[in-house]
Amino acid sequence: MATEQQSGETFSDTQRSGPYASAVNWMESLSETQFAYLLLTPALVLLGVIAVYPLVSTFSMSLFADRLTGTARLGEFVGLQNYVDLFTGARNYALPSQFLPTFSSEFPFVTNIYSSALAVTLIFTVFSVLFETLIGFGQALILDQDFRGRRWVRVAIIIPWAVPIVIQGMIWYLMFQPNIGFLVGTSENPALLNQLGLIGTTPLRNTADALFLIIVADVWKTSAFMALLILAGMQSIDRSLYDVAKVAGASRWQQFKLITFPLILPTVLVAMLFRTIDAMRVYGIIQTMAGCQTVPSLSCLVVTTFNTPLYGTSATVAFVTAGIIAVVVSVYIVNFASEGL
Amino acid sequence: MSNETQGAGIGSADADMKRGPLGRWVDSAIKNPDKVYRAMFYVAMLFFLVTTLFPFYWLLVLALTPNNLIANMGLVPKGFNPEVFIAMFDRVPFHLYMFNSFVLGITTTVLVLLIASLAGYVFGRLRFPGKGVLMLGILAISYFPPAAFLIPLFELFTGNTAISIGMVTISTPDLFNTPAPMVFPFSALFLPLSIFILTTFYGQIPDGLEDAARVEGTTRLGALFRVIVPLSAPGVATAGVLTFISVYNEFFFSFLMNNGEADSWAPIVAGILKYQGQFDTPYNLMAAASIVGVLPVAILVIIAQERIVSGLTAGALKE
Repeated sequence: MATEQQSGETFSDTQRSGPYASAVNWMESLSETQFAYLLLTPALVLLGVIAVYPLVSTFSMSLFADRLTGTARLGEFVGLQNYVDLFTGARNYALPSQFLPTFSSEFPFVTNIYSSALAVTLIFTVFSVLFETLIGFGQALILDQDFRGRRWVRVAIIIPWAVPIVIQGMIWYLMFQPNIGFLVGTSENPALLNQLGLIGTTPLRNTADALFLIIVADVWKTSAFMALLILAGMQSIDRSLYDVAKVAGASRWQQFKLITFPLILPTVLVAMLFRTIDAMRVYGIIQTMAGCQTVPSLSCLVVTTFNTPLYGTSATVAFVTAGIIAVVVSVYIVNFASEGL
Repeated sequence: MSNETQGAGIGSADADMKRGPLGRWVDSAIKNPDKVYRAMFYVAMLFFLVTTLFPFYWLLVLALTPNNLIANMGLVPKGFNPEVFIAMFDRVPFHLYMFNSFVLGITTTVLVLLIASLAGYVFGRLRFPGKGVLMLGILAISYFPPAAFLIPLFELFTGNTAISIGMVTISTPDLFNTPAPMVFPFSALFLPLSIFILTTFYGQIPDGLEDAARVEGTTRLGALFRVIVPLSAPGVATAGVLTFISVYNEFFFSFLMNNGEADSWAPIVAGILKYQGQFDTPYNLMAAASIVGVLPVAILVIIAQERIVSGLTAGALKE
């Protein structure tokens, strides 16, 4: 009954004349390829206006000088001069933080490493991804076991991942603000972390300490993501492999080393790549915890020069950031293309 | 006790007698290595529970302590001040910021689900030239940093971009301080993940069901929205939950694409940052607002745990 009625309705739909019916008829007459591109139009328009156009436009802006006076946003066309200035350090005088560290011929060959946006971003990326992977691995091993209350342990481990970045920043700001809590002491009465020499007494105002704490905060929030990906990899392993290993007398460590680890390694590498791309654009946690003056990342440098406003410089830094990420993405795509397609 | 008498009774010269409970446990653990794994497992689980949950407990400690007593805090609140959860709304209209966040989140989610459903149908069920290249292109674009889009988008949404069509030049409308400069960037940022989740789910529906609907006289779009989408409800829910959480958590455009006022559609990012006063820093209010701000996503995680887990893993592993 119901289906009959429904089909009757749709039939009369197609019979009806008017703009709706002609649109339907037109759509039905399209070939599969035409129909596919028609349905993709909204997605392509959105990504075109919000992503492709800005990327192209950022690049073209980066070819113009900064305009310091007057109403125009940009100065004259200077070609690649902005890029040259950025990489040689000639632009440092105008920047809130330099792009590259200062190189010297004496050991340790690099100075001002914490005032360099590129160095700070790379330090953050390497250490946060490394520790997220290790801790995520540990969490995944826990969640892979069968025990009572597993569901709730999983909730507890996922919740930091769902915490808004601004609240994540606020939490860690409140934990490491001097004089509030037991984690940061004074010079007369140092806390444990101070005595260990991990952080000073005003950790959020010192670049090295703040960077360390921002990495810790990021690991706290994001290792759950790694854990879930690694767990999915673990659970897709054929359980009979473990049965065979047990019969053969393999210890748990051997089972891990010879079965679990090699089989989830591809998953872990893909997950690390995603996290690397994500970590390279770090901004919000820095802005809320310590501020961009204290910990200058690449995204920080883009925003501060944009606000100054040094549009040409800002666009240059933005495009270089995108370029660095593009290199990482293309590594992934080349791998994906060689394996999957 | 029983161990001691037993040891003595048998007369083995083992030093069992002098061991306490720990010694006995170690002894039995040596005989049975599984016990060691069990113990290691519980220690590790406890460690992860404490490290993930302690920061939330710290918020509660600070929120319940009156602000003038917040100094050299230990592990327990100094005092009990639940009124803080009312006082926080007096200082900053945090409920309005949360409302804005919900509106932005729901609008973006609806838009993303609609666009991603069409794209997911195309990628999951149709064959056409250029499919692989388009999928990779969408994937690649989603990994560019928001910072690379900032300046042109800011210009575009503040009405400073001129579009020339032949002789006519029109400048874009000034949409700053409306939801648009946030909703569209959010949609573009989180669209690719939903496309990949829905491609997977829509691709799994048997062709026969769609063919049956088409034979019945349903249009192509009708088959998508009346057959394929309802059958993929778990996938749609997964994409929706992940998009909403991502928007609620987003910082970059939430922070830069409005003037930070509640009546300009600023989301909770601005609300939380507004507690930092010019003359004082009300730590207890900051902590209370953080707790209130986390609650919606915490509840969502508890309810939709399975969806989130499957979505994150499907989205990343299938790509």
